[in-house]
Amino acid sequence: MAKRAVLLSSLSAAIVAAACAGSGDDAPPTDATAGLSGAEIWARHCASCHGDAGQGAQGPSLRDWSSGKPALVSLITGRMPKTDPSLCRGDCPSKVADYILSAFTSAAACDASAPPPRRLRLLSRRELRATIADLLFPSAAGASECGQVTFRYTPSGAPKTVHVAGSFNGWASTIAKGGLAMAKEPTGGAWSAKTTLVPGSYPYKFVVDEQTWLQDPTATASAPDGFGGENSVLTVACGQTAALPFDPAAALPPDTRPEGYPFDVHGQARVITADSMDAYFGAAWAVAAAARAGSFSKLLGCNPADPACVSGWVESFGLRAFRRPLSAAEKTRYVALTEGQEPDAGVEVVLATMLSSPHFLYRSEAGEPAGTGYRLTPWETASALSYFLWGTMPDAELFAAAKAGDLGTRAAIEKQARRMLQSPRARDQVATIVAQWLGAEQVVTVEKSAVAYPGFSPELRRDLLAETRALASHVVFDGSHRFDELLTANYTFANARTAAHYGLTGVTGDALVKTSYPTDGSRAGVLGHASVLATTAHSDQSSPIRRGLFVRRNLLCETFGVPPPNAGGVPKVDPGATTRERFAQHTANEACAGCHKYIDTVGFGFERLDGVGAPRATENGKPIDATGDMLDVEGQGKGTHAKFTTLSELGKTLAGSVAAKACFVKQVRRFAHGALEPGTELCSVERAVAALDVAKGDVRELVVHLVTSDDFVLRRAP
Amino acid sequence: MKLGRRALLQAASAGALGTALAGALGRRALAAPGKVKRLLVFEFPDGVPNPAGGPDLWWPSGGAGALSLAPAMSPLEPHKAHLVFFRGLSMGPTDEGSHPGGAKKLLTAVDGGGGISIDRHLASTVGLSAPFPHVYLGVQAAANNASGDKFVSYPAPGTTAAPTDDPFAAYKMLFGGALPPMGAGGAAGAGGGAVVDARKKSAVAALLADLGDLSGRLGAAEKARLDLHRDALTQLDKRLTQLGTPPMGGAGGSSGGGCSAPTLKLAATDAAGLAKPEAFPAICRAQIDVMIGAMACGLTRVGVLQLSQHTSELVMSRFEGTELYTPGFDMRSHQASHYGDPGDPKFSAYVAERRWFMGELAYLLQRLSELPEDGATMRDHTLVLVCTEVCDGNTHLHRDMPFFLAGGAAGGVSTGKIVDLGGERRHGDLLATVAQALGDGATSFGAGSSGPIAGVLG
Repeated sequence: MAKRAVLLSSLSAAIVAAACAGSGDDAPPTDATAGLSGAEIWARHCASCHGDAGQGAQGPSLRDWSSGKPALVSLITGRMPKTDPSLCRGDCPSKVADYILSAFTSAAACDASAPPPRRLRLLSRRELRATIADLLFPSAAGASECGQVTFRYTPSGAPKTVHVAGSFNGWASTIAKGGLAMAKEPTGGAWSAKTTLVPGSYPYKFVVDEQTWLQDPTATASAPDGFGGENSVLTVACGQTAALPFDPAAALPPDTRPEGYPFDVHGQARVITADSMDAYFGAAWAVAAAARAGSFSKLLGCNPADPACVSGWVESFGLRAFRRPLSAAEKTRYVALTEGQEPDAGVEVVLATMLSSPHFLYRSEAGEPAGTGYRLTPWETASALSYFLWGTMPDAELFAAAKAGDLGTRAAIEKQARRMLQSPRARDQVATIVAQWLGAEQVVTVEKSAVAYPGFSPELRRDLLAETRALASHVVFDGSHRFDELLTANYTFANARTAAHYGLTGVTGDALVKTSYPTDGSRAGVLGHASVLATTAHSDQSSPIRRGLFVRRNLLCETFGVPPPNAGGVPKVDPGATTRERFAQHTANEACAGCHKYIDTVGFGFERLDGVGAPRATENGKPIDATGDMLDVEGQGKGTHAKFTTLSELGKTLAGSVAAKACFVKQVRRFAHGALEPGTELCSVERAVAALDVAKGDVRELVVHLVTSDDFVLRRAP
Repeated sequence: MKLGRRALLQAASAGALGTALAGALGRRALAAPGKVKRLLVFEFPDGVPNPAGGPDLWWPSGGAGALSLAPAMSPLEPHKAHLVFFRGLSMGPTDEGSHPGGAKKLLTAVDGGGGISIDRHLASTVGLSAPFPHVYLGVQAAANNASGDKFVSYPAPGTTAAPTDDPFAAYKMLFGGALPPMGAGGAAGAGGGAVVDARKKSAVAALLADLGDLSGRLGAAEKARLDLHRDALTQLDKRLTQLGTPPMGGAGGSSGGGCSAPTLKLAATDAAGLAKPEAFPAICRAQIDVMIGAMACGLTRVGVLQLSQHTSELVMSRFEGTELYTPGFDMRSHQASHYGDPGDPKFSAYVAERRWFMGELAYLLQRLSELPEDGATMRDHTLVLVCTEVCDGNTHLHRDMPFFLAGGAAGGVSTGKIVDLGGERRHGDLLATVAQALGDGATSFGAGSSGPIAGVLG
């Protein structure tokens, strides 16, 4: 009896019901839903899978159900909840259906809208690295213009052509052979060309009229060319750590996230505990020691032995470190740390303390009272903008705007956002958002068998990630600006190494250049990227399941529960069969098919690309069957089919769907907010989708819409 | 970075840091008569082979003092008199069939990880006096952009924190690094003991004041997060004093004979090297050595070792020199756990994998048994809780959980037997038993717990 009492008092009624139902003798003698309203039944038995506002979680979304009440009732009767299909009897299915149809509409969602809670955003490892570079090692900060290179040359005469030849394009002697063509600028006499290079050092020369090889007079480095002359040398140092004295985030804990959240910036999943405190504290002291090894008088711009110098620096550096002015008490607190210390030791302790302070490690979205809730201060708004758009602390102009109190209106925020989108840092950040959304960053570390895939080298992995990043920033900033081009592009960015991996011809050198995919539709946009395909495969084989889940989860924002107990698991090891043959049992077995018909039928469509994304026509000597079906692209249960035989067709189906567009909006918003969207923010998501439509799919306009939305700056009390 | 690590490790193994620190701490090791001194949780992924109606591959048989171990547990033969098994432990029906659901309940005994875990609870009570109230080490436990539900330790309800996966970082944290003996400008205590670094103490005082300001501003918002942060700063502050204080003269008790900084038998490598499946066995040994070193030196009383993560992608067929080794075929741990028929290669691989994990546990127990402590060995003063997040790997059920205890004889833990609970009991009762073994006053733990299990604590 005592045991039961504890159980009842500590668990929700829903869980007790499930527990009882699972243990035969204790099954409830009467209808467990009798006397409850549709809303109550939903909260107890449905919300844990379908979301508190019907937005979907493990179970599909039921928002804006358009197939009518009878279809809904028949789906519920005898089938829901999945954990106990006998639970909802009598008038229960009808009550639940009525509730779904009345409560989970867009209008209802807007009525229930509430801004996010007041919160703190712990800097991710990536953000911390970039922030420390900006704060203390500004020479490293420009490196966030990762890989974007502009060559410029002003010839003395009037040449017909100028091109760049270097180690990155195999020293192409003509433009036709792959030389990087320069274009005459509209004004002035200069010629220029842009390209993207992965990190490394590249010797190069300018070639005038495909005859005369010349050094770049503006180059800062050169090396012997082997013919008695000199090549110019360009060094691309991608990512801020390249020029930092060491990686300050090396010992910090990984940026964990909840299931279904693909980014490294989740707010609630990442906390500082005793487990990581020493790492944060140690990193701050190591950075301070490295700065001390440079020159404190240079950092401070005055003599550290002069108390006025130190006091002024505490104020000015403190503002940049805490991303807001220090209070008088804080200034006193930090200046006091230097008392009794040698000058450099005093500056060092201030630096180490600031860099391990909660005011540095978290960026605040606490806001100040405004109306019935809170609104971010101009300083907090500046940080919200800079970490979303640039992944680092605000620049001088944002700080100046915050100081002038200029970030209190939509127009002012929009003006800053449009300025920031012009920066190479925004290109880099968009590349990061897309790469994380797709899980592509894992290509660098994902385990691969050297026996199955001997050529999958660290250099190739690095270039494949750079490929995805290059396509993302190209599409958003140089191409159509539309997200759907990411799924349909009939080109990618390739260098000699990745082209060989894909079986593309005519690409030489290390530089990633815009390159057409094969015309057979076997690759399309990021669906053809080996960064994605290798990550969604096993170490020695492809995985239709993972690739199907990738489409369903990452691209369509659907959620799936875990397989039921005794699901039977993965197929038998049968080295003679094709992957598709082995996994066919999932869709043949009725118990599995409920979920796997949605997963495998899509995943099979990727089978012509192996576990590292290389093309294959056969597997174990058998021809590959890569036909797929993008079943129910707009949501499970709709009963639609979209059969495809190429990834290009799949890309078009996805690009044309409302679901993929809405999911993309959600994903970008999830990055911006550091959270999956709760039911109270669904209306905000719908407005963002509408804004993207108005802007004809321009991702830059989506970003502007998100930062000028109320929920970017408004917060509610918890 | 590499050079720094090597230099640090060489200095440590030469004794410059290690012995000074170790001598100071060993004498501080706690002795509470009649109680187990410390808890070490040993967690491995993806359950055990327990096929319905199949051969007994996991469960031991035989009466007290005459245990017979099943094939998956054969490496534990030398220690079987120090083991106590349970039949009938249940984690409850919620999320049954789910790996993450099991991991959330495993050490919290609350559905969905909605409670603090037993290790954290004990860290806040009997473990609090040690310089590190809690040490959480992983072996590739945070691999593959791990989601938070891969971790078993819950510092607060609903909140996990990642373990330290890098043995070099773990070593640095426990035996020097951010702390005064090795810190920038700090006086290295070569033979003379360390000194409290006044600058670091003043820094932490300022950080606590900063945190207080932030808490005041946020009020109820983010309170749980800031409470964890404050606890962490408070512990750091205390540790700076404890570890920076020169050893006191005179005899500090008879324990600590086994205290020395461990030597890591692992080549210094980068993050990519530490992520390779081939490196897993060496990392596992290194983390065990670091954990035992920390415990032998009184640095901590509560440790959690998490091997890999649930639904593990670890390719165990790459473990060269083991029975698992199958060049040219990648058998993943979770893949094997859905073992299929006895004829399926996954079946034998799965049993062999469990045997490998038990071999690591045997190494851990062996090391503990070699270190003398208070007239017995560390194995007798240490309670090891062995657990995994599901029962049978194929069905993922959450009942008849295969948890067992090892060691603790000097603390009155009665071993060498199987305790049949005569029906189902919630596993919180086992966690409450563990708590009482360490002298914690808990009379129950988590949901549905009715109290410690009789017949375990003598």
